[in-house]
Amino acid sequence: MDRKQTVPVHRGFVSCFILVSTVTSALVFAFLAHALDVPPLTGRIVDLAHVLPNSTMESLTAQLAAHETQSSNQVAVLIVPSLEGEPLEEFSHRVATAWKLGQKGTDNGALLLVAIKERKVRIEVGYGLEGVLTDARSAQIIRNEIVPRFRADDMPGGVIGGINAIVKTIEGTYQASEKAVPRQESDVIGQVVVAVIVGLFVGLLFMNIHRFIGPLAGAGISTLLAPWLVPAFMASGITLLLLLMIGASGTGGRRSRYSGMDDWVWYSSRGGGWGGGSFGSRGGFSGGGGDFGGGGASGNW
Amino acid sequence: MGRTWWKGILITVTMISALSVSGCGYNDLQGLDEDTKAAWSEVINQYQRRADLIPNLVATVKGYAAHEKETLEGVVNARAKATGMQVTPEVLKDPAAFEAFQKAQAGLTSALGRLIAIAENYPNLKADQNFRDLQSQLEGTENRITVARKRYIDRVAEYNKMVRFFPTNLTAKLLLHLEERPNFTVADENAVAKPPEVKF
Repeated sequence: MDRKQTVPVHRGFVSCFILVSTVTSALVFAFLAHALDVPPLTGRIVDLAHVLPNSTMESLTAQLAAHETQSSNQVAVLIVPSLEGEPLEEFSHRVATAWKLGQKGTDNGALLLVAIKERKVRIEVGYGLEGVLTDARSAQIIRNEIVPRFRADDMPGGVIGGINAIVKTIEGTYQASEKAVPRQESDVIGQVVVAVIVGLFVGLLFMNIHRFIGPLAGAGISTLLAPWLVPAFMASGITLLLLLMIGASGTGGRRSRYSGMDDWVWYSSRGGGWGGGSFGSRGGFSGGGGDFGGGGASGNW
Repeated sequence: MGRTWWKGILITVTMISALSVSGCGYNDLQGLDEDTKAAWSEVINQYQRRADLIPNLVATVKGYAAHEKETLEGVVNARAKATGMQVTPEVLKDPAAFEAFQKAQAGLTSALGRLIAIAENYPNLKADQNFRDLQSQLEGTENRITVARKRYIDRVAEYNKMVRFFPTNLTAKLLLHLEERPNFTVADENAVAKPPEVKF
């Protein structure tokens, strides 16, 4: 095979690859632009239509937090101004599975969804709660507790009545075999930060050998510590830049390098503590990994 | 002499990497095959659950609307047809059997839709607690069927992609003798989606 011919072929592959990946990413983004975005799980009660007063939100949040502590069940409420054309059951299932209410394995989650404009309400029940919070009971709760109050324009009353009934239906019958520990969500940003800190530390150690060995070693360590692929490259890039900057500023006598190292050692050890902190529990409410099979009931008012 | 030696190494390396790529394909295909079967079993499960609700439902409606013989018999017959079919994961290998299964279930769905619709004419039936519970159970099961079908559709799409993409299609066709699996058609999806609503 003639060596000269390999170069244009290689270039062709590269440009083809770039084209294909651009088109693919565009398609992926287009596909991801769904009818209605799953709202972020900002708490146990997500009221995007602002129909609940603060006092109601606080009392409901406290009630549901206590229920989770006691039973490991995760019940949440979502109120949206409109479904924007999407069928209620489809949206409800999407939100419940995205929020992952309930513990992984036991799937003991439930979602109360209210769509104001369409005047529709649904209780979405996870696999694990289908035995106690049956379709029939969910329908009864909607019919007897929620809809009458909604019809009388008492939105807070309806939600409170619904949650009370849901919790009572579950309570006593469902026994968690063990108290579940809230899951630590892996914080990608935290991992990148830690990767950069450790990379800096290592890089600075090597800095004494040579100006470029330090940054390379540090960047290498950062690449290994951060999740593959994008965070790893981000971490190594940041580490490389910082170390090169330090290297550039630290030129001169041994004295300046030594004192520079001292400063950064102190900063890194502080940073290490900070990195560790970002790994801990977010403090807010997050789903435990539960799954939903489509059980529950819908209603309208 | 130097060039042929170099070529030999290159060919060996290419062959090993080609083998390892299809090696990976082998496991992936087996995994997706199992996933597809599991998703299909779930679909069958939910259809069965629906079929199990029907005798009770028919009995309750008979209590209030005994002379709606045609509709009641329609449901009973449709159920018999749907449950009479032997449905196993083997159905996935036979597109004709899959089609027949879909048709039978769609027939049951429309028969059930008619049954629920006539309940609108009988206020006493509508108010009956038992009927209400059965109706909500039926709606819940229909929703579960939808979820199970959607999950099956996703799984089967992944599986079919693997069976068709190069180079895993080589492993699929030559080594494992795996074919594409049938999928639910959109036309049936729409027909099955909602039972007819009756508004007065």
